[in-house]
This record gives sequence, C-alpha cells and structure tokens, in this order.
Amino acid sequence: MMAMNMFLHELKTNRKSTIIWTCSLVAVAVLFIALFSSVQNDIAGFKKYLENMPQYMKAAFDISVNYINTLEGFYSFAFTFVVLLGAIQTMNLGASIISKEVHDKTADFLLTKPVSRRAIMTAKLMAALTSIVITNAVYLIITCFAASIIKTNVSHMNKFFLISITLFFVQLIFLSLGVIVSVIVPKIKSVISVSLSIVFGFYIIGMLGSVVGEKAIRYISPLKYFDTTYIIKNTGYETSFTVLGAVIIIASIIASYLIYMKKDIHAV
Amino acid sequence: MNVIEINKLTKFYGKARGIIDVSFNVEEGEIFGFIGPNGAGKSTTIRTLLSLIYPSSGSAKIFGKDCIQFGPEIKKEIGYLPSEVFYYDKMKVIDLLKYSASFYKKDCSKRIKELAEIMDLDLKKRIDDLSFGNKKKVGIVQGLLHEPKLIILDEPTSGLDPLMQQKFFELLEEENKKGATILLSSHVLNEVQRLCNRVAIIKEGKIIKLDTISSMKEDNYKKFKIELKSAVDKNYFNIDGVNKLEVKDKVISFMYRGNINTIIKKISAIEIVNVWIDELDLEEIFMHYYEKE
Repeated sequence: MMAMNMFLHELKTNRKSTIIWTCSLVAVAVLFIALFSSVQNDIAGFKKYLENMPQYMKAAFDISVNYINTLEGFYSFAFTFVVLLGAIQTMNLGASIISKEVHDKTADFLLTKPVSRRAIMTAKLMAALTSIVITNAVYLIITCFAASIIKTNVSHMNKFFLISITLFFVQLIFLSLGVIVSVIVPKIKSVISVSLSIVFGFYIIGMLGSVVGEKAIRYISPLKYFDTTYIIKNTGYETSFTVLGAVIIIASIIASYLIYMKKDIHAV
Repeated sequence: MNVIEINKLTKFYGKARGIIDVSFNVEEGEIFGFIGPNGAGKSTTIRTLLSLIYPSSGSAKIFGKDCIQFGPEIKKEIGYLPSEVFYYDKMKVIDLLKYSASFYKKDCSKRIKELAEIMDLDLKKRIDDLSFGNKKKVGIVQGLLHEPKLIILDEPTSGLDPLMQQKFFELLEEENKKGATILLSSHVLNEVQRLCNRVAIIKEGKIIKLDTISSMKEDNYKKFKIELKSAVDKNYFNIDGVNKLEVKDKVISFMYRGNINTIIKKISAIEIVNVWIDELDLEEIFMHYYEKE
C-alpha cells in the first residue's frame, strides 16, 4: 500500500508549479489554435510564404508546409514548443524528486521515519505522475474544446488528439530521465538549470538532426520520438520510437529505485 | 537487554576513513554518551544505525534486529535529533509536526502540545521564520512526539540557550525515567557528564575507551595541590604515578595515579598549610586519552 501521507505531502509541494506549468502549456496551445482560426482565410498566402523559406529553417522548426493549412498541421508547429515546455516541466519535477530533499537538507527528516526508501520513491513518483496526469487532462480537455469550436471534422479531431496526447508520453520519458539524474548526481545545486540544459541539449540535437536530415539522430532526442507529420499522415505512431520510449521509462525507473535504495545519504 | 548492539562496524567513504571496527552495546534504560571531536566518526556511526548510510563491513542491531534489514520497522521506536535541523521551509510548525506524526501509527497531538509548551515553541509560525534555536526546538519536539523507546541525539544542544538546554535535559531525564534508552553523541563534555552513565570515546574512527564515567574517574588520575609552609626539594613528590609535577614557590601541584596511601603518607610527612584533592572531570580524562599518542 502506498504511503498516503507522503503522497499528499508531495502533491501539495508540487501543486503550485503544476498549476503554473499547466496554464502556460494550455495558453501556448490555445493561442495558436486561435491564431489558426484568424489566419484560416488567408492560409494560402501564409503557405506560399513558408514555401519560400529556406529548407533548413523549415526542417529546424519542424514545419511541414503540406499540412500547414490544416488545423493539425498548424497546431503541430506550435506543439513543438508545447512539448519543449512540457519536457522542462517534468524533467524539473523528476529531478527534484530526490535531489530537493538533499538540497533542502530534509532527507534526514524523511529517512529517519519508519518508511522504506522504496515507499518514499513510490509515493514521490506517484505524486509526480498525478501532477502530469492532471496537466495532460486539463490540456487535452481545453485544447480539444478549443479545436472543436473552430473545426468540427471528426477524423481531424482524432489526429489532433493523437498529437496532443504525445505530450503525456514525452513528459513520462523526461520524468523518468529527471528521476535518474536526481539519484545519480550527488548534489544538484539548481534543479531548474540542470533540467533546462538537458532538455535544450536534446532540443538542439534533435534540431540539428532535422537540419542535416540524419534520421538516426532522432533516436537520441526523446523530443523527436513522436513525429507530428507522421501522425498526421498515418494516424498512428512509429513503433520503434514508441518502444524505445517505453524502454527508457521502465529502465530509468527501475534503475532509480535500485540506486536510491543502495545510496548513502550524507550528512549536510 | 541490549537496545543497541554494534559489532565491528566499519565504514569507508571511498578510501577516506569513516569508522573502523566500532563495537559497543547500549543497554536498555541507560543514557549512553558517545564522545569525540568533530570528524572522529560519531555521526558516521549514528547515520549507519539509522541506515542513512550503509556499512562497508560489520553490522549493528537495534532492538535485536539488524538495523539495515529491518530499518523501517525499528525506526518506529526511534526518535532522532541531528545537530543541524532542516525542515520544509514553507510549512507551518504545526503542519510539519503533524506530518512527522503521520508516520507513526498513534495519536501524537497531545504530546505535541505538551512538548511545545515545555520548549516554549510557537506552533503557528512558518519554519523559515524561525531562528536557529527555534528550529532546534522543532527538532526536539519532532524527535520526541511519538514517545520513542530509543532516542538518538547527535550534538543536540548547539544553538539552544542555556535555559532551553536545561529544559531539554530535564525532558530527556524524564523520558529516560519512563524507560527510554538514550544515545547521546557530543563533544560538550559537561553535558555528557551530567546525563550519562557510560561513555565510549572515539578517536580517528576507533573506539579507544568504553567505561562508566564513575569508574573512569576512579581509576584515573587525581589532581593534587599542596600549599607548603616552607619549600621542599623539587623532587620530593617525584615518585611513581606522579605526573605533570609543578612547583611554584610554596605551591606544588601534580596528578597522581596509584595507591592513595602512598601519596598521603608522603604528604603527611611534611608540614603543609593546605591541600586540595580533586577528581579529574570528563574533559580532563578525555584530553588525557587524546593526548596519549
């Protein structure tokens, strides 16, 4: 059974940041959906403008000109940033799970209580997962609602949903990466700078990969596992990347448990 | 019955020495002192007992159970107060204490109120608004609120004013009377001397002395100071067992260990004005062990 007291404590600790991040993600997405509804009538001109853009620019920003005149195509462009923000949110969440206790020096308090380290990790992970589920539920409800206002084509809504829910998958991957970083790195001075640099590192690697057109580079950057153009074309996900994502999540979580349970907690 | 049994506990941090072959027992109901300067290995030993760190070799048992394997179970009956206390800054004192209490399957709210009253702690303040001393009080209440059978204190009094120290000691003595066993690690020797029955002295990671305070004092040196009527030969007192002999005009002082009759006869054979014979206090005994090599 999960230790509810720790779970609720963690949930409360994460509450404020979850609200702020959720609002930011929703705001970016809704802004672009609204923007689409206003440029919809003039989309041909916009498309032409994009076609004249240099190829590397389009590649770098994942702009698929073919679909830009559809909501899901236009939304995909914005979604790159939503995923980027979402990755930072969860990397941060994951990285602070264990390292925050070390940094704030509260680890002694928690670890001298009659609870196993496994129970601590589980409670913290479940609380983080709950935050992500809330973020994504709110995100999906509001963006789908906003999209349905301007567009009612059901099959397109399906694609829109398939794209949006990849936010959840990418967030799970970055949560697990954050957790493993927090148990491996002995003392993280600033969680946000670590998560920013790692996420942006992946972003830049992914962007370079798109520019040079090297497909293998996509495997390195989890931000690129769910290609929106592919989803729009095939109404589904690429198996190899989906499997790889799942493997990363499972492996990092298992490794995090094992490392944390054997780790020395040093005096402050 | 032994509440704590430590058996050849060894901890290395990489190649750096933590503790080497530390062995001692703490019996039920006693207040056990664990003394040594900073860096000698006191905290390493305690943190291993609490399974915060894992030993390189050796083992320790608390309540007869291995402290690593049964960590969560035995911690139900342990109260711990570290030298520096850190809590979730944004919480109110009462919320932190309630959170702390929620880990123990009993109602601690009455005890929280009692302890807060004794320690004069404002429960409504936020943790980050508290001074160092007040945070320490939170630590004390937090460590005792579940009425633990074993209280482990690591340099507990730093930051407390003398009045609060006094109250804290009274509180500990009261808990001890109710049956709690206490392990007190400290380098403030007069607090150890006041509270403890037995002590272990740790030096550079090894236990160098383990005894009751009273017998340590008994079979140790006694301090003599003698005022003479007229000066005697400097070497008059230079006999076996005399140490640190100092002669200042008509005042002679030295430390002595050995048959007390021998030295008393020596004294009575000369004309003296006054004599002072003192036991060493723990601090002097401690210094003695530390200066040995």
